[in-house]
Amino acid sequence: MKRLILLFKRKKTLFIFLAGFACTLILIYPFNKAVSYTSTDNYCNSCHVHDHAEDSWRLSAHVNNKSGVVVHCVDCHLPPKEEGYLKAKAYHGAKDLYGFYFKDSADYKWESKRTAELANTFTYESSCKKCHSNLYPATISTKGADSHMHYENHNETMTCLNCHMHTGHYNPNYQHAQNQSFGDEEGPKELFTEATTISSFENYVENIPGSSVSFSMVAIDGGEFLLGSPEDESYRRKDEGPQRKVKVSPFFMAEVEVSWDEFLAWFGQTASEGRKEAETNLEEVDAISGATPPWGAPDQGWGKGQRPAITMSHHAAVQYCRWLSHVTGKTYRLPTEAEWEYAARGGKQTAYPFEGSPKDYSELSFWNKWLGVDTAVIGRYVSYKANSNGKSQLADMVKANPYGLKNMNGNVAEFCSDWYSADTYKNYKEEELIDPKGPSRGREHVVRGGSFRSDASELRSAARSYTETKNWLKTDPQMPKSIWWYSDANHVGFRVVCEVPENIEIK
Amino acid sequence: MNKMKKNIDRRKFIQNASMASAVGALALGALGSCKSAKTPEELGLPPLRKAAPKGKKLKAGLIGCGHRGTGALLNFLSAGPDLEVGALGDVFPEKVASVRDRLSKYKLSVPDDKCFTGLDAFQKVIDSDVDVVLLATPPYFRPDHFKAAVQAKKHVFMEKPVAVDSVGIRSVIASARAAKQMGLNVVTGTQRRHQRDYLACYEQVANGAIGQPLSAKAFWNQEHVWFRRRQAGWTDMEYMLRNWNNFYWLSGDHILDTHIHNIDVVNWFMGKTPLSATGYGGRHRRETGNQFDFFSIDFNYGNGSFSHSMCRQIDNCSNGVGEMVMGTKGYTNCRDKIFDLNGNIIWQYQYPLDKEGNPTTKVKVSPYIQEHIHLVTAIRSNIYVNEGERTALSNLTAIMGREAAYTGKQITWDQIMSSKSKLGPDKLDMNTVYDAPETPIPGTAIKNTSNSH
Repeated sequence: MKRLILLFKRKKTLFIFLAGFACTLILIYPFNKAVSYTSTDNYCNSCHVHDHAEDSWRLSAHVNNKSGVVVHCVDCHLPPKEEGYLKAKAYHGAKDLYGFYFKDSADYKWESKRTAELANTFTYESSCKKCHSNLYPATISTKGADSHMHYENHNETMTCLNCHMHTGHYNPNYQHAQNQSFGDEEGPKELFTEATTISSFENYVENIPGSSVSFSMVAIDGGEFLLGSPEDESYRRKDEGPQRKVKVSPFFMAEVEVSWDEFLAWFGQTASEGRKEAETNLEEVDAISGATPPWGAPDQGWGKGQRPAITMSHHAAVQYCRWLSHVTGKTYRLPTEAEWEYAARGGKQTAYPFEGSPKDYSELSFWNKWLGVDTAVIGRYVSYKANSNGKSQLADMVKANPYGLKNMNGNVAEFCSDWYSADTYKNYKEEELIDPKGPSRGREHVVRGGSFRSDASELRSAARSYTETKNWLKTDPQMPKSIWWYSDANHVGFRVVCEVPENIEIK
Repeated sequence: MNKMKKNIDRRKFIQNASMASAVGALALGALGSCKSAKTPEELGLPPLRKAAPKGKKLKAGLIGCGHRGTGALLNFLSAGPDLEVGALGDVFPEKVASVRDRLSKYKLSVPDDKCFTGLDAFQKVIDSDVDVVLLATPPYFRPDHFKAAVQAKKHVFMEKPVAVDSVGIRSVIASARAAKQMGLNVVTGTQRRHQRDYLACYEQVANGAIGQPLSAKAFWNQEHVWFRRRQAGWTDMEYMLRNWNNFYWLSGDHILDTHIHNIDVVNWFMGKTPLSATGYGGRHRRETGNQFDFFSIDFNYGNGSFSHSMCRQIDNCSNGVGEMVMGTKGYTNCRDKIFDLNGNIIWQYQYPLDKEGNPTTKVKVSPYIQEHIHLVTAIRSNIYVNEGERTALSNLTAIMGREAAYTGKQITWDQIMSSKSKLGPDKLDMNTVYDAPETPIPGTAIKNTSNSH
């Protein structure tokens, strides 16, 4: 015993080292075991049972391919081994455990999580590139090589998922090609031969000649209001001020945003370039040019019909109005920003045209996010983030504002005719403005109203935003890029206004 | 221990070397602050060996047996030990014969079954067990040949120009990036980048000898170049191929074919590619083909920086070939002299001396061989080189200038980078009927779309 103690004393360091080494081994072995056990597809899929996660993966090119290669869950959803694998695993694992034990899978809006933005937070670019190190393999097409070059030359803004969203989880509706047959499916229906004639300043229903499509227009009395928001309004941004007194002349405004039915009536009658010869009839449209076929599915696979039309460019919306004016003999156009806000307010100077303040509804507030929000009122009037499941909604899902207009503040954001400037209100020189039209020139146009993606703070009647042409065309692989369709803006559409004909008397 | 010693030796060497260069720089007085001066290695300049190191035997396949192809092959063979010729290919049999004849003077031969002719000869050369391919056909063919070589995992030496249009340029960039992933070395025939005086001068300029580069001039003005008259029995296609140097769908025009060297040097010294081009050009004296015989282009490098680029192939005019870059502190001919703003020489390249002790005007190792030494050294000692994309971008710069002159319009970098322009017929065989477009007239639409029958 004494000898042993002596030995221990003499070789103390050695003993401590050996003991430490043994402990490490004992710890590392099960740790590695645990890491690999919790990294199998079976383990992942045992909890991730939501919405066909496993089925869509099995159908995807990552499993269902001729080469026999199977790309496992952790291959994409965690970074490569050398680049923070364990750290990311600990982070996602902790989040998943919390979700599994404290939340109900049915409460998640899985549909709304299937966007390129979110997908980028669940997958790792470095993991894509670990396997796909050569972006120019022998089999790639010229178009493919051009697209990969575009990606590499813009790698600070582009990600693999911009184009390859559905590589890991199959989506039958996804199409990465010019959609030649877009809008073709409409069968023969009874066609209107004439547009509606209006004889007084009252609501009317417009019929689009040569189509079976009609839509409701609401007469909006002229009046005076304060454009912009007061400085004490919650979540107000600087470009909403200073408030200006504005006089607006009477006009008609569409009850709802332009639907796919309406938009496709134009597309079907005018779209020419690149479309089938038989459908081209340029004489009839009097040289108002029509859009080229879109890339992929502009309706995002959410359905067309009465759902608001989306992803068309501002230019396309303006052309639509020109065409609509031509076929109906009236003057349709995009609303000015002032008209839009006047109509959205419905006579109210509060943040919303309904009860409640942004503070009550916004999930930007920490307490609201954790304690939950009473959405009963706001949910009746607006389609937005909290009630839309990440996609556009049918127009009649909500109640109208005091002027009889639906979803001004939500569903899809809407183009205005004005150029955008952060200083628009400041730069108006007059004391009282009459039908202001915004700056005389600019780069981007005003976009108003929140969308199905928006937090309640962005639904405020005074909230302003604008087109982001470059960003919204990021993944359009065509050269030059389309002037008709935004490849990366599925939350924007528009609403038409009609000018009051001169012969109509307004009481 | 051994490793440590090596490290110390290396450190010592670096110390000594930097001392030496510091002293040298002081003596010449061209470098503002010698402490921060970057070494050639840090500047990404090629190693300047007298010959490639020993190593695995390398066999080269030559695709395109014309004048430059023959030269490139001989340059390759003289770059170091154990370098051989493995195969020859050309569209025309007598071209292959002439290379074999030339090789026989060096007691070298290529067996019959490694000599290929016809339009598909390139693929046969690539597939004939060679390690390196030398691409020296008219540039119209280069993108496809380069792609085929990379996909067959061959190291590549390719002549400039590397393409005649934007579609070709993008293909070359894609293949160059694929080559990088596959570890295949690529050297291009922009030999000024391997010419010792240019390299030494660049080192000075990159270390601030002329301050910040502001403007530049590039010029290649010479007499008329070779052309062939049509002979009886030739199809249209055969005539154009034999007289390729005068048809722009095959040559890219002479702003690509020769002037590209000067344009490449300006891009190199300016450290960027231009944003747009505006220019003139025309055809006065050329006897055959459809291309211009002069160009004058203003390349816009942004922030007021520009380069005036000119090239001409007309007899009895003032001639000259070279570059000039002007900076905030001085200017340089990019080759052997740097001047201050008063015209005093502040740096001069020391050329080797001849037998009588007088300085010569030639560098020690011909740049045409130096570039092959670089390629072989890269293959044998695992220092990677890939000049494909860099040369493609200078090539695209030249295309942007050419299109500016052809159309009379300003052409931007983004336009030319994404242009769908593709010259020449869709498919090509000896009997393809292809109406080469008329010489472009500025201010009118160019009729150069594919119209093969």
